[in-house]
Amino acid sequence: MPSKRSSETLRPAMVWRVAVRDLLATLRDRRTLMGTILIPLLLIPLFTLGLPQLLGQFVGGQQQERQKVGVVGTLPGALRAALERDEKAPDGTVTRAGVTLTPVQDARTAVQNGDVEAVLRAPAALPTRAGDGTGTLEVYAKLGSLRAQTGAYGKVQDTVEAYNRTLTLDRLTALGLKADTLTPIQIKPVDASPPQQQRSGQLAFLIPLLMLNFILTGAMATALDATAGEKERGTLESLLVSPVRRGEVVAGKLLATTLTALTSACFSVVGFLASGLVARLLQRGQSASSTELTQAFGGQLSLGFGSALALIGTAISAALLISAVLIALSIYARSYKEAQTYVTPLSLAIVIPAVLLQFSDFLTLGAALYAIPLFGSMLAILDTVRGTVTVSHVLIAIAANLLGAFLLALLARRSFGREEVIFRN
Amino acid sequence: MTMLDIQNLTKIYGKHTALAGVTLSAHEGEVFGLLGPNGAGKTTLLRLLATLLTPTSGTASVAGHDVQRDPEAVRRVIGVVNGGMGLPARLTGREVLRSFAGLYGMTRAQTDTRIAELDERLELGRTLDVRAGEYSTGMRQKVVIARAVIHDPAVLILDEASSGLDIFARRTLLDFVAATRAPGRLTVYSTHVMSEAEEVCDRMAILHEGALVTVDTLPQILSRTGERNLERAFFALIRGTPNGAQAHAL
Repeated sequence: MPSKRSSETLRPAMVWRVAVRDLLATLRDRRTLMGTILIPLLLIPLFTLGLPQLLGQFVGGQQQERQKVGVVGTLPGALRAALERDEKAPDGTVTRAGVTLTPVQDARTAVQNGDVEAVLRAPAALPTRAGDGTGTLEVYAKLGSLRAQTGAYGKVQDTVEAYNRTLTLDRLTALGLKADTLTPIQIKPVDASPPQQQRSGQLAFLIPLLMLNFILTGAMATALDATAGEKERGTLESLLVSPVRRGEVVAGKLLATTLTALTSACFSVVGFLASGLVARLLQRGQSASSTELTQAFGGQLSLGFGSALALIGTAISAALLISAVLIALSIYARSYKEAQTYVTPLSLAIVIPAVLLQFSDFLTLGAALYAIPLFGSMLAILDTVRGTVTVSHVLIAIAANLLGAFLLALLARRSFGREEVIFRN
Repeated sequence: MTMLDIQNLTKIYGKHTALAGVTLSAHEGEVFGLLGPNGAGKTTLLRLLATLLTPTSGTASVAGHDVQRDPEAVRRVIGVVNGGMGLPARLTGREVLRSFAGLYGMTRAQTDTRIAELDERLELGRTLDVRAGEYSTGMRQKVVIARAVIHDPAVLILDEASSGLDIFARRTLLDFVAATRAPGRLTVYSTHVMSEAEEVCDRMAILHEGALVTVDTLPQILSRTGERNLERAFFALIRGTPNGAQAHAL
């Protein structure tokens, strides 16, 4: 009689054979390949470059466009002139177009009907020089609209501020005072964050979300096909009556799922790095607003050897954990479709913590947080992207994932040995 | 030589007794039939022999290996086919066979030789290089059988293997089963189609509602019941069981 120990030992060759079988089935599926390779490669550059470019062009376009702004009543002549005036570069090109003022009767209706993009209404006469009292200028616009904020409303706001400053300066000059009388101390911001953090952008917290999401997407197709799909097709039974041990079946499926997930993660990293390279080339000829937006979306990500290693290690452990969760869950399903309903909510387990990452600056990032499986990986990936990663935090995050994956693999191993699970069809 | 030795084998699911103290044996060189209507316990018995289920009580050994104490050894010497078995849709028949041959430790040369043999016996032809997703039921079942016997098992277990097959595929299957009759080999053929059992089985066990009704050769069963064919003999035999008369009336 073989000992319990020998019957539980995993034979690497058997594990690999089971994995190859599942991998081959995955590689033959065009939809899975698209989700694993093409989507990360295309979606990340699109998100980190295309979207900011588009927004940049949109914002830039608003600057060049001459919006219609309604007026109820009368405005001081100097303010009208300032609003209508184009800002020009020394070579005469228009850098910011003014607005076209037009009289309207009802401010709110005119905006809501889209006749004008904003309406100015002064309930009382506005001062024409500083010291003549104060006035209120009501600005009607769709304030929740990015178009209004970057177009008519933004221009009115900037022009009125400049008008106020001009009146104040005129008054100061008349009193024999200099312009800096109002601002004895001026603030000069200096970004003291590490260069990599500066490059990573304000929305760098989205990188862990995208990476783990691609790991989940990549793992899902293989995990579901290798478990519930096999049950549904009647191929699992044939595998279980072969000399493969249950532990080897689980390990093989885990390996195949993890490899697919990692392929997806690798292509997402390649997508980020490619975006960074392309961003540098594009920024030579793009507007300042586009550059800022690209920066904000993390379009200039670049990694050193150590950071890349930390990123890879974290991604592998997260892929193992996610694969183990998927296999442990989907083996209970009777069909591929049923398995999908079990695992779809898992994306929330990634999205919700990932959204919380934008508040990570407010968290005291102690070791305990890195020990939370998956969330620790997100923190470690974010730190890596920002260049603030520490070896101990990465190791804790990896260890937490590996421990979670091991426990879930044991659960899956148990499920593969349970009659009511295997024959639940 | 006894290839299959079952002693008082019982399987209970909750309050339902799927198999009640079955005792029987089968020997090398036999095609052993397992007959009974749906729910008779045939599939449960075969899954116990294939080590997919654990007995509630009793023992069973296959080619000398106990199903509970040495399930891995049992799985090495058996090949299993059932009507519900499928194939990975995106793999070709040849890839499936190679993949399973690897699990039995066969080399590539051994595998290719064996595939060529099975190609001839089961008339696989171009099926081997077509993806399983494109197979008809008959093509699929041929490859499923080839997969089950890729390692030339001592004991072949077929559970409702002819289910859904057309007349050509069924003929190939029955001819294949008849040809498995050889020294050192046992084929267990489970079916509810009596004419198939009459054609290929040397001895047969009749199960009804989880209990063994009889084990004998076809001539003996016919002689004992005085009936002219197995189907009539089957009904005659189960009339003697607790719910047999009711089953007959239905």
